[in-house]
Amino acid sequence: MKWNSRIRCALVCLAFTALFSAFSFRLVYLQMSRHDEYAELAAEKHVYRQAIFAERGEILDANNQVLAHNTPVETVVADATHLNNRDALIPVLRDALEIPANELSEKLQGERRYIVLKREVPTAVATLLREKLRAQNLRGIYFERDSTRVYPNGSMLCHVIGFTDFEHRGIQGVESSMEEYLHGQDGYRFIEHNRAGQEMVLYRGSEHAPRNGNQVRLTVDLNLQNIVENEIDAAMREYRPQKATIILMRPQTGEILAMANRPAFDLNERSEAKPEQMKNRAIIDMMEPGSTFKIVTAAAALNERKVRLDTTIFCENGLWNFGGRPLHDHKAYGELSVQDILVKSSNIGAAKLAISVGDQKFYEYIRRFGFGERTGIELPGEIPGVIRPPQAWSKISITRIPMGHEVGVTPLQMTIAMATIANGGKLVTPRIVKSITKDDGTVSTFSPVVLRQVIAPETAAQIGKALRGVVSDRGTAAAAAVPGFTISGKTGTAQKVDPRGGYEQGKYVVSFTGYLPSDHPEFVGLVVLDDAHTTKPELNYGGLVAGPIFSRIAEKAARYLDLEPHEDIGKPTAAGRVALTNASHR
Amino acid sequence: MHAPRRKHFNTVNAASLARWIVITIFVGLTGLIYVYLNLQLYHQGDRKKALENELVSTRAQNEVAKGQINVLTSHGAMQRRLKEGYLKMVPITERNIVRLNLPAHPLGEDAVQPVANKRAGR
Repeated sequence: MKWNSRIRCALVCLAFTALFSAFSFRLVYLQMSRHDEYAELAAEKHVYRQAIFAERGEILDANNQVLAHNTPVETVVADATHLNNRDALIPVLRDALEIPANELSEKLQGERRYIVLKREVPTAVATLLREKLRAQNLRGIYFERDSTRVYPNGSMLCHVIGFTDFEHRGIQGVESSMEEYLHGQDGYRFIEHNRAGQEMVLYRGSEHAPRNGNQVRLTVDLNLQNIVENEIDAAMREYRPQKATIILMRPQTGEILAMANRPAFDLNERSEAKPEQMKNRAIIDMMEPGSTFKIVTAAAALNERKVRLDTTIFCENGLWNFGGRPLHDHKAYGELSVQDILVKSSNIGAAKLAISVGDQKFYEYIRRFGFGERTGIELPGEIPGVIRPPQAWSKISITRIPMGHEVGVTPLQMTIAMATIANGGKLVTPRIVKSITKDDGTVSTFSPVVLRQVIAPETAAQIGKALRGVVSDRGTAAAAAVPGFTISGKTGTAQKVDPRGGYEQGKYVVSFTGYLPSDHPEFVGLVVLDDAHTTKPELNYGGLVAGPIFSRIAEKAARYLDLEPHEDIGKPTAAGRVALTNASHR
Repeated sequence: MHAPRRKHFNTVNAASLARWIVITIFVGLTGLIYVYLNLQLYHQGDRKKALENELVSTRAQNEVAKGQINVLTSHGAMQRRLKEGYLKMVPITERNIVRLNLPAHPLGEDAVQPVANKRAGR
């Protein structure tokens, strides 16, 4: 017996020891070996990663006027499993969110846990709704903070600013090209919820602060942009063109001071805009520039010292057969100096200048002026244009390209070519972003980039001198003159290219590009109207349509920039006379 | 025969009792303080959350106000007001403008170059 009781006692003790040892081993195994795995599983149940949204950076103009900013809004969502009184809820939501009752009841049917009822609800409306729900003890409706992009100036500068998509990512304009800087980086914090779904602040985990987007300041001056927008609107009313583009640029730095296109759209109502309205035609539309391209031809001939400004060239009395095809001038000219070829815009004269330079050399000059390559402006979707190499030229190309046919250029490229003349032959990269300001106040500015010296400064000065004659009584753009200032400029009238081949009869792309003042250019401007409608076909010329528009813009811009007139303002100008002449035609 | 009855008393060790009472009170108080402080922490957490919400709401209101200011002072809005006659522009006459003969900016500096007006010197 004694042995038995001892044995029994020992067995019981052994059993307990074994049992507790097993428990201990299991505990150690779970707590140490598989700690991370179970800790993660536990965290998944209770710990949430709460996003702290970064704010998208603002876009400002050169004078710090706000062009794009954020406004807080809320997204109203429902959890169908938490709804305690659907019947009472629907009228409250209907009144606050202005959603039809049947639509609401349809959305709230079922047991879905995440139903978006309405996005971009103003905070004031959301606050009122929250209070109503609380007062009536209605549960299951939640509010998520969000923000919406607001463009205070509506359609002004719409193609340059661009807009964002649903997820606040830039998809056009500067919003897209500067996405990297504007977007910022969302932060996060780990939080725990209690059984009621409320956050337990005590158990907050690690936190990573958000980094707000940078502020992007543009080179565009909204005052100049306003002048341009008013004039382009007036031109649209007067001439009803299919599309129009106006660009103002500072030649020394390449800064774009204003850029407007029509048709345009309201950035705040972008969902209603048609694709045609959203195109920034200054950089994505290709056109045959017409006679404005003669500045490249003349620059090449002068820079290669094939001719001087006063060298005379026989212009075949208005008709020249070259390569079996006739080439016309709009008037019959005999001997013309190189200067007068530009002033009178002789096609035959320009063709002979290009022939004197030669195919290959002329092509090189075209490329050196920046045609056939993207300018590098900070805007998305820019096209390089089409410049065919001499190997692909036809027999008559050397006579057509000098007058701006058989080439495809963008309005911005044409502006830059004129800016190169204004800038003493230096080709400067155009830019639209002036500086970027980080959240901590650090400012990064962009310096002007001189790409290359295209032509000698003396050649540029000679071309500039010749182009002064264009904006005179003798030239094709007397109507582009600005009282008190000398202007160098060139007109362009090109027959519109038919996408099916050939040219469209009676349809023209008229343009004028010039700079002011001639001696110390403050800005270069370009006006392009595609298929303008004039009262008489003979009035549909660059000098008569685009010239006066340039004149009005330049006059207002000069006044705004406080440029000192260097001629007697009271003197009757050619522009005034031409304007009167045009008016008398109507 | 009964043995003489002796009254028996359980002796109480007063010192030990006092020690246990003190320990019990101390432990009890510690527990209460722990619970109180824990509740305080929860309470502070709730206050922190409420303040955070208030801060976010104030910031949102500020953003909304800033946005409205931007919209109301935008170029388009100003022009509309001008057309409607709420605003009036008074041109500055030439004799009221004083121009300074500032030195010209070097080429390449990205600023609008002020133009010296010779008439200012006369």
